[in-house]
Amino acid sequence: MEVSVGDVVMPGDTVKDITTITKKETIILGPGLRREADTVYAYKAGVLRKTEPAVYYVDSYQKRYVPNRGEHVVGIVTQKSSDIFKVDIGASEQASLSYLAFEGATKKNRPDIQVGDLVFAKLLVASKDMEPELVCVDSHGKEKKLGILSSDGMLFTCSLSLIRKILNRNSPLFNMLARSQAFEVAAGMNGRVWVKARTIQETIAIATAILAAEYAPLSGIKKLCSDIEKTLLLTQSGNVE
Amino acid sequence: MDTSEETSQSEYILRPMNCELNQLSMPDGSAMLMQGNTAVIAGIYGPVEAKPQKMIYDKASIEVSYSPIKGPTKVDDRMTEMYIKETCEAAIIVTFHPASAICINVQELEDSGGMLGCTINAACLALINAGIPMKFTFAAVNCMIQEDNEDIILDPDSIQLQEAKAEFTFAFDSMDKNVICCYTTGCFTETEFLKAMDRCKQASQYVFDFYRNLVKKYANVI
Repeated sequence: MEVSVGDVVMPGDTVKDITTITKKETIILGPGLRREADTVYAYKAGVLRKTEPAVYYVDSYQKRYVPNRGEHVVGIVTQKSSDIFKVDIGASEQASLSYLAFEGATKKNRPDIQVGDLVFAKLLVASKDMEPELVCVDSHGKEKKLGILSSDGMLFTCSLSLIRKILNRNSPLFNMLARSQAFEVAAGMNGRVWVKARTIQETIAIATAILAAEYAPLSGIKKLCSDIEKTLLLTQSGNVE
Repeated sequence: MDTSEETSQSEYILRPMNCELNQLSMPDGSAMLMQGNTAVIAGIYGPVEAKPQKMIYDKASIEVSYSPIKGPTKVDDRMTEMYIKETCEAAIIVTFHPASAICINVQELEDSGGMLGCTINAACLALINAGIPMKFTFAAVNCMIQEDNEDIILDPDSIQLQEAKAEFTFAFDSMDKNVICCYTTGCFTETEFLKAMDRCKQASQYVFDFYRNLVKKYANVI
């Protein structure tokens, strides 16, 4: 079946718009699309989307993470060996993280990381044939937001489409939540979110808000945030009495 | 989510189909499918790390486990597993995730005829839900030839199956409607076989339409 932008696609559908283009412009096929000879096929089920000028991709629901180069992920350190850490990022294979890939780390000054710690890292190498490799520094050797996540936060998992939704620049969720509460959040593209707020109640409230945003339309997020704000105020006043 | 209204038009040909996706929280994708009174639930984990002995260095290995409603898995169930595995292997682009494994678990909930077809369809829906790369989707249709008048009945239930001379299950791909899986029992002639295959091929379109409507419904929610 032939489909065009905005339609629901099924694996095996051909994309009409791309095949009819004869101009010599660069077309980028994003996730969910593949080319075979002159035809573009979808290989995932979802909604076909296009961003200008000519980037096509399939927006689909998924829970399992497939590593992509340059993405930020939240991982759990599972193994410590002489020069690398093994980190579980929820993909089919564990990622490796060099102990030198931290800000200010040298051979003598090793970062203090234990098995079970959480790290927020960037994927330096991610290809289907190779082990993924993480770093906690940017190209200037600075850590910025990356690095070890403190153990007094909370980690939870959600679907990959939700992560894309909340990290979208147009998503009002974090701005709305930040109006009433102070919190820190690290959302990895692998569907893991780490949150830390002032109190446990607030942390749980933020986590609930994020999870509830999955099925809320953009317009409903405002109401959702104010609902959570109200509930939080009620429980806090209850504690004081 | 209730999808029974959408299949009312196909009721004359196939038994009504009902499906819920993502019902299980642990697997990466799951589908609970009812075709008439036959019900199965399928869960997919994948791509996950493959066991060293089952690892294939240039493609994903596919493991299927089928659990009957009671008792241990028997020889017949192993055969069902093999049919599901071969069918899924034809559809999944295995080269996209080399050296990993895709585990498909199917649990029988109720059997009232056409079990194999139902498990294959449930596996396909679960694969769609898990976002596993596939060349095409596939749909299985069951049919039988009646003992006395040699009529072909599509998607028979267990009562109708008692009068069956032969029973067929065909799975077709969504692109060219080629047969990718075929299971037969009983005695039949070549013309009967080809006629049955043709009827199933026509009916498979209803299953594909059902898949698309289902994905459309879930796509609006997300």
